[in-house]
Amino acid sequence: MEISKPSKAKIIASGIIPFAFLILLMAYIFGPGSDLLDLGVQLPEITIEKIDFVNSEIQVTVRNTGPIPVEVVLADVNDRIQPAAIEPDGFLERFETALVRIPFEWNVAEPYTIGLTVGDGTRFEKVIEAAAPALEPSLELVGFFAIIGTYVGIIPVMIGLLWLPFIKKISKNKYHFFLALTAGLLLFLGIDSIEEALEVSKESLAGSFNGALLVSTVTVLSFLGLYYASEKLVKRAESSKMTKPVAIALMIAIGIGLHNFGEGLAIGAAVGLGSIAFSTFLIVGFALHNTTEGIAIAAPMSRGKTMIGKLAVFGVIAGAPAIFGAWIGGFVYSPFTSVVFLSVGAGAIFQVIIAILKWVREEGDKNLSSAAVASGFAVGMLIMYLTSILV
Amino acid sequence: MLSILVVTSIIAALYFAYPSITDAKNEEKKFVTHTGAVISTTGEILDPVYTASTVEFDPMQYLREFNYGRVSQLPDGTTLREFTIIAEDDNVMEVSPGVFYNVWTFNGTVPGPTIRATEGDLVRVLFINNGLKSHTMHFHGIHPAEMDGVFEPVGPGGGRFTYEFEAGPVGVHPYHCHVMPLEEHIVHGLYGVYIVDPKEGRPAADEMVMVLNGLDTDFDTENNFYAANTIPFYYQHHPIQISTNQLIRVYVLNMVEFDPINNLHLHGNLYHYYPTGTDTVPSAYTDMITLSQTERGIMEFEYEYPGKYLFHAHKVEFSEKGWVGIFLVNDNPDQSQTGIEYGN
Repeated sequence: MEISKPSKAKIIASGIIPFAFLILLMAYIFGPGSDLLDLGVQLPEITIEKIDFVNSEIQVTVRNTGPIPVEVVLADVNDRIQPAAIEPDGFLERFETALVRIPFEWNVAEPYTIGLTVGDGTRFEKVIEAAAPALEPSLELVGFFAIIGTYVGIIPVMIGLLWLPFIKKISKNKYHFFLALTAGLLLFLGIDSIEEALEVSKESLAGSFNGALLVSTVTVLSFLGLYYASEKLVKRAESSKMTKPVAIALMIAIGIGLHNFGEGLAIGAAVGLGSIAFSTFLIVGFALHNTTEGIAIAAPMSRGKTMIGKLAVFGVIAGAPAIFGAWIGGFVYSPFTSVVFLSVGAGAIFQVIIAILKWVREEGDKNLSSAAVASGFAVGMLIMYLTSILV
Repeated sequence: MLSILVVTSIIAALYFAYPSITDAKNEEKKFVTHTGAVISTTGEILDPVYTASTVEFDPMQYLREFNYGRVSQLPDGTTLREFTIIAEDDNVMEVSPGVFYNVWTFNGTVPGPTIRATEGDLVRVLFINNGLKSHTMHFHGIHPAEMDGVFEPVGPGGGRFTYEFEAGPVGVHPYHCHVMPLEEHIVHGLYGVYIVDPKEGRPAADEMVMVLNGLDTDFDTENNFYAANTIPFYYQHHPIQISTNQLIRVYVLNMVEFDPINNLHLHGNLYHYYPTGTDTVPSAYTDMITLSQTERGIMEFEYEYPGKYLFHAHKVEFSEKGWVGIFLVNDNPDQSQTGIEYGN
């Protein structure tokens, strides 16, 4: 049968024509049709993203998050005007940032409100609950954060891994219970990451970043990317020495590692913002909380040979990112990167949940609704909720 | 494909997180903080130091500018003083460096011109409203009800009204627009000072007018700036020059809205204070007076020692937002600087 094959040129043209119209539309709106959009009043908006208290100076990072260019013309501390400098200059295009330096003899632990006024007289402010000296990167601090990261990330995960012999000896049903428990733990962590990302974006990101949409987009992209990568990895595992449980455990370790990176950011930022007491609590909480992550890695590994070396490596993969997170959170904190990393972590975790459930389904006679699986999932969520109260 | 996506998203993320790295470095500039520290920066300086070249409204000129009107004699010997006052409400003025605010003005300035007459003169003010809203002129003082500028709104786009009354009582009084919403019409700048001199005159002096006012530039019913004569910090960076052993007479009027009180503290000296300027006997010898809305009076003082002396609101919040100035007292040993006789 003869089907009239359209020529390649036609296909290309039919693909391009809608784009051409789109470009025409844009050109019209920005060009001759710009009057059409002259309705309403465009108000300037700036967002104070970060405030650092350094030696005799308050440093404010400000971003133009409004629809029009603005000029920052005045700085104040507690609503009292202060001479200041703005680098590189006070004129900000959309999304441009600048650093405002306000010489000020601030006092430790006192609250401050920092205000910036733009050219039309509108004042924007941000409240700092307690001033604390900004962290200067030093070897000592790098070491300090590394120790905290180890406490929070590596050690608890390793402790969790010690449950491996126990899981190894139990029946298939109980094994499924533990796998489902792992999925439950991870689901909780994923929701936790998203909540944290939304909170940061609400507090420190301007509305123009569409915080909730940024979080969902990055989460989905991270999920898809890792899903694709893990399918590849598991396929390759079948043809290589690596067994499928090991591949799944590796994926879980990577997912948890990305999540712990986000947790490290939170801890580093808490120390950086001076809430030291809060972060001691945070560290104890995270340590207890993260022990359960070790179980998540151990569970799939329990079928097959015990590979202590691999297990240790996975523990490091899962735990060590907390150290890097703490460094970044403490020294170069930016709310935008923080939101992105937390969302990447959430996407990674959801991907791991899918991988585990698939594994359970294959192992457990295509059944996901057994009592073991359902109760495991539920207990996992509950354990996480209860340990999260400590954080 | 995936790697391209990843790379572009990382670049985009880095751009949002750390942009403006590429901007070229400017040369170093220096500025002095309120505590005297000298700070250098590669960027721009944010400091309300008003330089004369950029002033749209000159507080130094306003300080000692008195308007006596077009003077003529009526058949019965009374002095007639005729003024023309034009209201506008669509001007945007740079009130502090970089801060642009929609001022509503009498004769183009905030405060409006200082109107000065002698007790018993006939004051005739031709009021023209070139604004986009109704406005009036309401003088504090003694006058017939229909000259009160309350129930006769003068329409926008060239509406006219002639206010006519006998100058009195002696003292310093405000005038302002009295159209509702009143607070809005006042805080945008429709006010000024009206001085009535006693027939016998006052002792020769160096006289000046200070209107204490505030600017709510973001319309949140809290003042963003305070000043003596509108421009924040102006007299701090451009001290008012006076001489030792010379009588200084300041007509002070508080027009600050939103905040219930304002006050005025003078350094290194005390002043005789005449509330509303209606009495010839001072009510206090003090360095601190408290003023509510439209409260006003006359301060008289002389400096014995030359040098720089602050004057400011001792409600320090106001002074840290601009209501602060300096008298630069020059030595005047041979008393060559004597006072001026006012009122003509």
